[in-house]
Amino acid sequence: MILELEHIAKSFGKNKVLRDISFQLEAGTLTGIVGENGSGKSVLMEIIVGVRRAYQGTVKINGSIGYCPQKAMLFPHLTVGEHFNYFSVAYGIDSRQSKKRAEELLLHFNFKKYREEKIINLSGGTQQKLNLSIALLHEPSLLILDEPYNGFDWDTYQRFWEYTGHLKKRGCAILIVTHLLSEKERLDRMYELENGILL
Amino acid sequence: MTGNKIIISLSMILRMLVRQKIVIILLLIIPAFFFTIVEFTTSNRLLPFQLASLDDDVFINISEKGISFIFFAVASTGFLVSFLALNLIQKNNEINRRLVICGYHPIELLTSILLSLLLAILLIALYVGLLTHIFYPIDHPGRFILGLALIGFVYGSYGLVVGSLIKGELEGILIIVLLVNIDVGWLQNPLFYAEAQNQLIIKFLPAYFPSQTAIITAVTNYSATAAAMSGIVYGLVFLISSMLFFFFKMRTK
Repeated sequence: MILELEHIAKSFGKNKVLRDISFQLEAGTLTGIVGENGSGKSVLMEIIVGVRRAYQGTVKINGSIGYCPQKAMLFPHLTVGEHFNYFSVAYGIDSRQSKKRAEELLLHFNFKKYREEKIINLSGGTQQKLNLSIALLHEPSLLILDEPYNGFDWDTYQRFWEYTGHLKKRGCAILIVTHLLSEKERLDRMYELENGILL
Repeated sequence: MTGNKIIISLSMILRMLVRQKIVIILLLIIPAFFFTIVEFTTSNRLLPFQLASLDDDVFINISEKGISFIFFAVASTGFLVSFLALNLIQKNNEINRRLVICGYHPIELLTSILLSLLLAILLIALYVGLLTHIFYPIDHPGRFILGLALIGFVYGSYGLVVGSLIKGELEGILIIVLLVNIDVGWLQNPLFYAEAQNQLIIKFLPAYFPSQTAIITAVTNYSATAAAMSGIVYGLVFLISSMLFFFFKMRTK
């Protein structure tokens, strides 16, 4: 088991956003969570990755984690290449492996020509490609993706799903927040988050 | 690995700072602008005054122009460093937290932020000190620059506290401006301070000891060690508070 959630509950004041959420993710599976805006999907993702504190329940993770937040979290005055360097050091990847991985991701998501560009000069879609690539850099065993394809063009969107297929085969457990019900056929399992409960 | 992480983080922070060209230009222009105003608006008449850190019978004889240059050097150093500190700790809060999720320890990030702030304090104090010396020859420029570094340390630490506690950029800037304006930009002016109705309040403000240190070192041969040590203690209280707030904000489950 890569991820195990038991009785997760979270409130903001009197507003109970999550009530008794429990589920498990196995290696090599792709699981989706859908829900209306404000239903608590992003809060659940943040609890899993450890950003949110003061919640009830337990989160057990077996392995390394990659997290792609909904909004691109990047340094505006650093270049794409510098982001790969900075996060490689954070993950503890050695320099040679880091260069190889960065090259693969730049090629796969077709943004190699922006390697030396600063983030403030990039389009939203290209920033999102980097936001996602950072989560994939260290080949994690658990991937948490919060609407990762916002701003992607059709080609990149297809490449994204192609890549998740490749990760699944490698044994990565993927949890993806989506608002597109049309993606249901791509998923092994799909939950709906409604009134703080997973259906 | 920790050392490597701190070095990489420090190098990235410095790159980000240097690439914000408008910030660099303002850092260079603001003190020069203050001094130009002083040059054109103050006279050379002598204004004897007493300093609270020195004995009652000690009068400092200095021109209005001279004390204004020294006072504005202290004010602009405190002002610039506190803004820079606020910017360093507040602006990339979210992305710093992502780095923590990815494997950085909050202490590694904080160390690199503090090292870059220390470098900025030394450079700003050196620049403002030398600029002051060009406009008005200081008796002991080396000691005076150290005095400016002290106000940079105290107000830089204050900027870190504000940046760690306040989420909004505008709110943070207003809180910085409020204290900088009242304290270092007004009440610590020795000419105002000497005649103030309630000097006790002024003595408890953060710029008190660094201002005393800077003035003593600039125009007297007296020792400023006691004032400087008190200033360091004041700055350390701010610094430790900011470190605790930052660590609390960055920690993950």
